[in-house]
Amino acid sequence: MNSIYGIILGLVVAFIGYRFYARYIDTKIIKCDPKKATPAKMYMDGVEFMPTSKNILFGYQFKSIAGAGPIIGPIIAIQWGWLPALVWILLGTLFIGWVQDYSSAMMAMRKDGASFGGLSYKLISPRARVILLAFIYFYLLLMAGAFGNVVTSTAVNLKSSPAAWLFLTIAGVLAGQMIYRWRKDIILTTVVTVVIAMFGIWLGTIAPSDKVVGESLANNRLLWAIAAFVFCYFAAVLPIWRFALPINYVASYIVFLGLFFGIIGIFVLRPDFTLPAFTDFSIPIGPLWPIMFVTIACGAISGWHSIVSSSGTARQLESEVDARPVCGGVMFVEMMLAIFALIIAGTIYASPAEYGAAIAKGPGGIFAAGVSKFLGALGLPLDLGRSYGSVIMIIVAITLMQLVIRFMRVATSELLGDISPIFKNAHIATFIASILGLLLVMTGWWQYLWVLFGGANQLMASLALMMVTLWLMSEGKKAFWTFYPMIFMFVTTIAALVYTSYGLLKKVVTGAVKGEALVGSTVMGLVGFFLVIAAIILAVEGAKAFIRYRALRAQPAAAGSN
Amino acid sequence: MSEDEKKRVGVLQAIKEFVYGVAAHDSARFALKTRASMEHLFILITMGDMLGVPILPPYYSLRLLPYVVPQISTWKRRMLREKDLTDALA
Repeated sequence: MNSIYGIILGLVVAFIGYRFYARYIDTKIIKCDPKKATPAKMYMDGVEFMPTSKNILFGYQFKSIAGAGPIIGPIIAIQWGWLPALVWILLGTLFIGWVQDYSSAMMAMRKDGASFGGLSYKLISPRARVILLAFIYFYLLLMAGAFGNVVTSTAVNLKSSPAAWLFLTIAGVLAGQMIYRWRKDIILTTVVTVVIAMFGIWLGTIAPSDKVVGESLANNRLLWAIAAFVFCYFAAVLPIWRFALPINYVASYIVFLGLFFGIIGIFVLRPDFTLPAFTDFSIPIGPLWPIMFVTIACGAISGWHSIVSSSGTARQLESEVDARPVCGGVMFVEMMLAIFALIIAGTIYASPAEYGAAIAKGPGGIFAAGVSKFLGALGLPLDLGRSYGSVIMIIVAITLMQLVIRFMRVATSELLGDISPIFKNAHIATFIASILGLLLVMTGWWQYLWVLFGGANQLMASLALMMVTLWLMSEGKKAFWTFYPMIFMFVTTIAALVYTSYGLLKKVVTGAVKGEALVGSTVMGLVGFFLVIAAIILAVEGAKAFIRYRALRAQPAAAGSN
Repeated sequence: MSEDEKKRVGVLQAIKEFVYGVAAHDSARFALKTRASMEHLFILITMGDMLGVPILPPYYSLRLLPYVVPQISTWKRRMLREKDLTDALA
């Protein structure tokens, strides 16, 4: 099949989903009211609660949710064939993905802008909040490990990427200095720093890491993993304007331009899928159900989106009617990004064997090769395109990693600060988070790590849908559109986590793994089981709340019949 | 301005806002957060007696009061709002 049909299918699904299904939910069930004051207006504090234009929020939401997830997931999942991956991306977004993003924002808006901690406390129980926080901590740990692995494997396998990464960091730090210290014009700052970052991408092609630091260091995974976590360490402990934000600012231009022209390149080349539409139900990482459904997370549904929608976007929406284009609409755009990644993986290799050799080294190489091919259609030299693709992969992974480590630092001080004041120290708390992440990167096989991260991510999504369902019930609204997706996601993700964790711990018990892999399998298996247990406790608490709300709904009816 | 021109300007404005949202909105939010924490400290030092923390003599507090008044309502909202760890996620 020609890949253009994949894009056309995506556009049709986005049109139907956004124009009809989302509109129906928005107007008939949620009954959004343009005259209703949103938390951004009611509690305007000039900082977190601030009415913001929907166009700005559209960009903000897109930048916050479109990380490495929608790119890496489809690249791995094509091992089952491109057809099941495409079907899951389309149907997952249509029936679950946008539903979760949109409903999380609406719930937070109607609940005075409360975030998930507060919402779980109010809607479920005080215990649910504590369990949810612990769940989120380990979910973020898996995210740091999975994305750290992507950064490390990209830096090792694509020798041009370290120079590009280094120059991006320099450009970002310079941008922070120019904007906040020297008070330079923003356009001048942008031009200078983006040019420096682009220069780094070019420099990577003539000064690859193996020529600069030597073959052995360039291939040393530990070195690049430490570099990634040192980067995140600075992002977590330095003032946010000095390091993390300006780097993200410069990086956003690199990523945006690369993806924009890459998509144009697809239209120019219009390649056919060369990999099989379907390979087998069961492959080395696991069976199609449930594993493929957690491997493609962000492109179909992702728990991370619900966190962004509730804690960030819901506090800035200036009208309730903006929730559909901002939260629902952006999810459909992300679906298109996932299709783009699927097209890359499915069209650039002549045979499954070639793809198999490439995926064994990690998804970064495949993505970079695809970007190189599609930018090449517009005239960019292939080695420059590969360097560009590799730095995009590093950016999308590390920008989320630094946010995760920063949050883990705050969470460590908050959760463990009462046990000992030492945990309140920013450096100690960041160090703990970084070491745990580094341990996962160095000891876990990346495909298992990705599946576990995907499982935790999707489980977070099902917990978000559970809270939305309870909120809808408490408001006396129809909840079928969140209830059934929640059940499907909960069963699927629990099955995926149990399958993967059991497989890992079985290897440990039977002595099938030794050395580093023994540590990695043990840690990943235990974290997986912890997440399953936490999710089951939350589900039990949720079921109790469900019964409570149903009884409350039945009361007026019973009173009316008397 | 004709309808077509209005539409064109509207589309350009939307693109401009989208790019700002992708690239700089987060930076602006965090800059505001940093300024807000400085403001919290400043108001606490100058108007601490409102909360029973008499740090500056009331004479100086009263002299500063006109400058602080515009901030007080949003300051109170920020200070008194129930906060949660998950707020820090976005």
